[in-house]
This record gives sequence, C-alpha cells and structure tokens, in this order.
Amino acid sequence: MNDDELQQRLRAIDPASDLTPADPDRVARLLEDTMNTDLTDTSAPGTPGTPEQESRNDGTRNRSPLTWLVAAAAVLIAGVGVFSLLGNDPERDDAPTAAPSASASVDPGSTAPSVTELGAPPPAAGRCMVPTAEALSTAQVAFSGTVQSVEAGVVTLVPDRFYTGEATELVEVRATPDELTALVGAVSFEEGRRYLVSATDGQVTVCGFSGPLSPNLEALYVEAFPG
Amino acid sequence: MADDDPGAAERRARFEALAPELVEPLRRFLARRTDPVTADDVLGETLLVCWRRLDDVPPDAALPWAYGVARHCLANAQRSARRQGRVAARVATVDPPTQSSPGPGETQHGEERLHEALARLTDTEAELVRLWAWEQLTPSEIAGVMDLTPNAASIRLHRAREKLKEILRKDRPAAGHEESTEGRTP
Repeated sequence: MNDDELQQRLRAIDPASDLTPADPDRVARLLEDTMNTDLTDTSAPGTPGTPEQESRNDGTRNRSPLTWLVAAAAVLIAGVGVFSLLGNDPERDDAPTAAPSASASVDPGSTAPSVTELGAPPPAAGRCMVPTAEALSTAQVAFSGTVQSVEAGVVTLVPDRFYTGEATELVEVRATPDELTALVGAVSFEEGRRYLVSATDGQVTVCGFSGPLSPNLEALYVEAFPG
Repeated sequence: MADDDPGAAERRARFEALAPELVEPLRRFLARRTDPVTADDVLGETLLVCWRRLDDVPPDAALPWAYGVARHCLANAQRSARRQGRVAARVATVDPPTQSSPGPGETQHGEERLHEALARLTDTEAELVRLWAWEQLTPSEIAGVMDLTPNAASIRLHRAREKLKEILRKDRPAAGHEESTEGRTP
C-alpha cells in the first residue's frame, strides 16, 4: 500500500464527510457573539489593551450588581487569608500549600497541557491590607487568564500572560468545597471571564490582590512586575 | 466607544474576513475528533481565542494555526470531561460520531480494521495521520498545528504512516481464514 492508497482508505472513513455545512445565520451569530466578548486578551505581552478596551471592561460591565455584592461580602469573610499569609511566618506547617507544580510544567511535544496548581487560602478571620505593588511583588506566581471552568474543587484558568512564575498552559486552583466557596466568593471566579491572579506559597491571594481584570488591578500588576 | 475606535473597527473587519473561512474547516476538524455537543462548545472557544489573539494569527497559515488552537481547546475540554468522569461519552477521538449504514460486508470490515489500526497508534501518531489524511495538511502545516518543527513533523508523519500500514498488513486476514476473522467481530 502506498501513501496515496492509505490516504484514500482513510478518507473513506472520514467522520466529517457527511457533515452538513452550518446554518449561515448561526455562524453569523456565533461570530458576532465572539466579537462582542471582552477584548482585553488582544494584548501582546507588554501592551495590555488600549484605553478604549480597558474602559469597556472597567467596573460592572455586564455583571449584575449582585455579583459584586457577593464578592464584596466574601472579601470581608475570606479575604483575610491573605493577611495571615502575608503577616505570618510563611513556614508555618499547617498551611495547606500547593506549590506550583514544576514537574507538570512545559514539555514540548507532549499532548497534556502544562499546569500550575494553586491552592486556596484557608478561610480565617483577620483584616485585609491595602493592595500595594510592593506587597504584590512578593507573589511567586502572577498571571492574567480566563476562567475556563469552575467545577467541584477546581477552577481552571487559561493564562494569557505570566507576570511572574513559570509560564504554563493552564492554571488550576484546587481547594476543598469550603475553601473554594470562600475563594470563589472573594475572587468571584466566573467561567469565561478574565482575571488577574497572584499566589504566594502556592495559595491564591485574595484581599484585592487577585480579581477580575480591571485597569486599576492591571496597573498594580504592571507596577509590581515591571518588564 | 470602542466601536468608534478605528483600531477596533479595523480589528472587526480583519476578523470578519478571516473567521468565515475558518468555521467550516474547524467544524469538520472537531466533528472528526469529538461528539457534536463538545464540538459546538470547542468551536466557540476556538473562535474566541482567534478573536482575542487576532494579532498572533499568521496571515499565511491561519487555518493550521486555528487547528492548533482547536486542538488545544479540545484537549482542555476533554480534560475537564475526564475530571467529571464522562470519559466514554466525550473522548471519542477515533470512532466516527455517525456510523454509516451497514454496507457490503467487505467494505464494512475494512473500515473497522482501519479504525482499529488507527486506535493502535499513539495519540500523537494518530493525530499526525488524521491531520494528513483528513485535514489534508502538508507536513509543515502539521508542524504548525502540533507545535513541531517541519522536519520533525515530516519524519514523525512518515513513521506514523508506515506503522499504520504495518498494522494493516499484519492484520490482513490470510486467505481461507475470512470466516473465522468475521466471526471475531462483535
């Protein structure tokens, strides 16, 4: 059998051979929907968005006020994890650390995407410190990315830019349901939305250090991780 | 406001020129690799990535690039499907989603053997073969999809094809054993 014959035989079993073309109206709608999504990912590293795009993404665009209410409430409850994280000895051994998995990092040619695994901060009582670039710059992982899925115990993000830390194709935030509730509340992860996320000692920072992408937060990240 | 921006309008125009060319090939690409529901989801994802990363789309190789994105998005979708324990339903990479009606026994049997042979290749080998036979890409285009160098893609495609032929050759029922082989088919 030569290559042509093989190709012919394979084409005879092409599962898409009887696929009918998509309804043009549906395609048009799909493309329109696509173009109406946030444009913030257009940025090449170093040129995050145009001012116009940023203003479109500023604040409460397309989000119900409830989301923000919930997020704000949750920040009060859960955001405190960061305080204890930043304020306490990072070596304390009861911290449920989930260090960025260097082992699961970039492996060219492999079919499995590389993943950075992060944990959630333990829900604890405390106060938030004001987010500053200086404090943020101590994070070992900082990236912008879009939430691909929110599932039991795992939030999966597709990062588009790493400010610091080893770049991987995916980032998974793993947590117990309780922790996740706190974290999801604090950061309000929603599928398809873009976030700026940082992590210290393998734990996602809350308290305003991680959150939905906004010009202010982005400016903080850029300041904390110049270049 | 953004829509008044010449940059944004120009961007839309570029996407509107590019995307319609991608949709049908991407639909076929996905129909060959997953179930219709996942294919729909992943098509949306893929277009979104194309839209957001429009500046990264290589003008002379947009489709292979888009296949690469789709492949990535599909792998992600399948990963999360696996996490939810829906392996069987969603990770059909080889079985045709729509089984053709039973034809003449000979042809049907040959198709089945080809499916089985494909399934015996590694994931990468099978993908190389699919991209070559079904998407009909050149080795350098395949390299773009699979993140390989053109040289590596060419060599690995060649090996994958030879391996597939070898499997088919070995599996070919010897004369006189036609019936017993047929009997094995479930």
